[in-house]
Amino acid sequence: MSRRSAAARRKNGVSWLMVAPLYLFTLLFVLGPMVYMLVLSFLQRAEVWGVTNQFTLANYQNILTPIYLQTFVESFKLAFTSTALIALIGYPFGYFMARLPGKWKRFAMLGLMIPFWTSSLIRLYGWIIILRSNGVLDKVLMGLGLTDSPLKLLYTYPAVLTGMVYALLPFMILSVYSSAEKMDWSLVEAARDLGASAPKAFFTVTFKLTLPGLLSGVILTFIPSMGLFFIADILGGNKVVLVGSLIQDQLNRAHNWPFAAALSVVLMILTSLMIRLYRRITHVKDLEGVL
Amino acid sequence: MKKVLALILSLSLALGMLAGCGGGSASSGSGDAGSGSSAAQGGQLNLFTWQGMFPQEVLDGFTAETGIEVNYANFDTDENMLAKLETAQGGDYDVIIADDYIIQTVIAEGLAQKLDTSKLSGWGNINPVYQGQFYDPADEYTVPYGAGVQTIVYNPAAVNVEINGYADLWDSSLADNLGIIANYRVINGMVLKTMGESYNTEDTALIEEAGQRLLELAPNIRLIKDDNLQDDIISGEVGAAVMYTSQVTMAMMANPELEVVFPEEGIGLGIMAMFIPSQAPNADAAYQFIDYILRPEISAQCFEYMGYYCTNLAAEEHISEEYRSFLTLPDHFGETEMIQPISAEAEEVHNRVWTEFRSACGQ
Repeated sequence: MSRRSAAARRKNGVSWLMVAPLYLFTLLFVLGPMVYMLVLSFLQRAEVWGVTNQFTLANYQNILTPIYLQTFVESFKLAFTSTALIALIGYPFGYFMARLPGKWKRFAMLGLMIPFWTSSLIRLYGWIIILRSNGVLDKVLMGLGLTDSPLKLLYTYPAVLTGMVYALLPFMILSVYSSAEKMDWSLVEAARDLGASAPKAFFTVTFKLTLPGLLSGVILTFIPSMGLFFIADILGGNKVVLVGSLIQDQLNRAHNWPFAAALSVVLMILTSLMIRLYRRITHVKDLEGVL
Repeated sequence: MKKVLALILSLSLALGMLAGCGGGSASSGSGDAGSGSSAAQGGQLNLFTWQGMFPQEVLDGFTAETGIEVNYANFDTDENMLAKLETAQGGDYDVIIADDYIIQTVIAEGLAQKLDTSKLSGWGNINPVYQGQFYDPADEYTVPYGAGVQTIVYNPAAVNVEINGYADLWDSSLADNLGIIANYRVINGMVLKTMGESYNTEDTALIEEAGQRLLELAPNIRLIKDDNLQDDIISGEVGAAVMYTSQVTMAMMANPELEVVFPEEGIGLGIMAMFIPSQAPNADAAYQFIDYILRPEISAQCFEYMGYYCTNLAAEEHISEEYRSFLTLPDHFGETEMIQPISAEAEEVHNRVWTEFRSACGQ
């Protein structure tokens, strides 16, 4: 008995050793910077450059300035709108992709992945070429006689939304696809056999079984969209001020690192709260593919 | 569906990499051009500046002549440069080129070394107009390398108002037709200028007032960006823009129909300068490089490439006719003022006012 438990302990010890590098890595590169940021957010900026080791709450008070609160609202607004649009487009896409025959399925997957072989910044500039005045879209519309002068498409809110949807759509498609793919379609057949109409079978069986995919897709698009400020900067002409953009300003121009750190801390807390709230509402514990 | 999970993870990685891009990446400039140069002569020069500050021929020419290989590393903002230089404790780099205001901080932090001008045979070539400025009053640390002003450029075909100064930008006929650079000290400062104040006022009430006036400009703003703003006036995205000298040069080269306005309210001047960090690993190479760049013909080549005002008086005669009017200081230049660091309190008001303005532009 005692010998067996010793062996078990040894075995445990070995497996612990094997995961130790992972824990160390996490501690060093995830927890470390977070603690650094937290500490920084309570320090005071130096007059011109750097920080002074003086405790202050002023950085957090500063966030309460109406215009800075407004950037949080703006970030949430953009994240909500783009996530809703992505779900609207991505869910049917992922669903029908899973229904394709094997060969076409692989083909569709490849088509989805190929754009990712190019840097997404370059693909964003591609959008500029399409949307700018006298750009591709303008030329097409004028060629078709639908408009007679260049539209102002670039540097607008819809341009920003387009960029957000474009950048994050694959996350939604893939998670919906993964849950639709492994679904047992005989359940739908059974529902139909028992007299359910096609829409009814879809909403009572298919939709419920693919819901985890949709919900994890929502998480996977919502969180990054809170942080993707460069899309708003590039396609929105810097006119949509998101928290990320404000943080960048504070770091790169204003030399106010503590304020940038405080903004980051609050953004992180708000995002985690959102996820908790979301999980409570949807009762999803085990999200498809994530968490 | 492990595969899908793996795909998702790799996608998020790809997205994460984005955040990292745009940062400075070191790239070695020229290769083994120095034929027959001995190892003692050779070595490396670590040059740290923005992208596109030197034509490749100039760097290659330097290597061919001295056998010193140039390692050209980029930064995207002055602030990133200072953060890196601070981490390196004044080491790692031999020559850095950055903006005036940040050099003042570099010097204050003890990260630059005093120049031995006897090692610079071309020292006398420098245009004295660009010397003795606030960041280095006694010219002990820096050699100017290019200057610029903020100017208004407009396309007469796309604008229905005559623009003579900043105040004209508020004209309602310019609605949604104006592009501006994303530097809040320049843009807020432009409003301060229309009020007859200094760029560097630390009076927060004045900055607040400038902010209020700036909000009235918001309906005219089509875009705010620092990089390649000239593209948008060339393509017709905007009819008028407030931009830097190098952008003006590029815009005028592409479309000579454009009009350049030196605002009547006053001109904001900025100077870029070279300095040698305090712990530069190869200061000898740094002197050789700076002296090489100070040669009139080489300088002229550099300024034509960069499109900034030539800070080398001896080089002016070597600048081709095509570029001369853009690269030399116009005679009718009025008084100029440089943007200098101000108190943290004033800086914070500038920031808040700027964020309010940006957000108003998007409404």
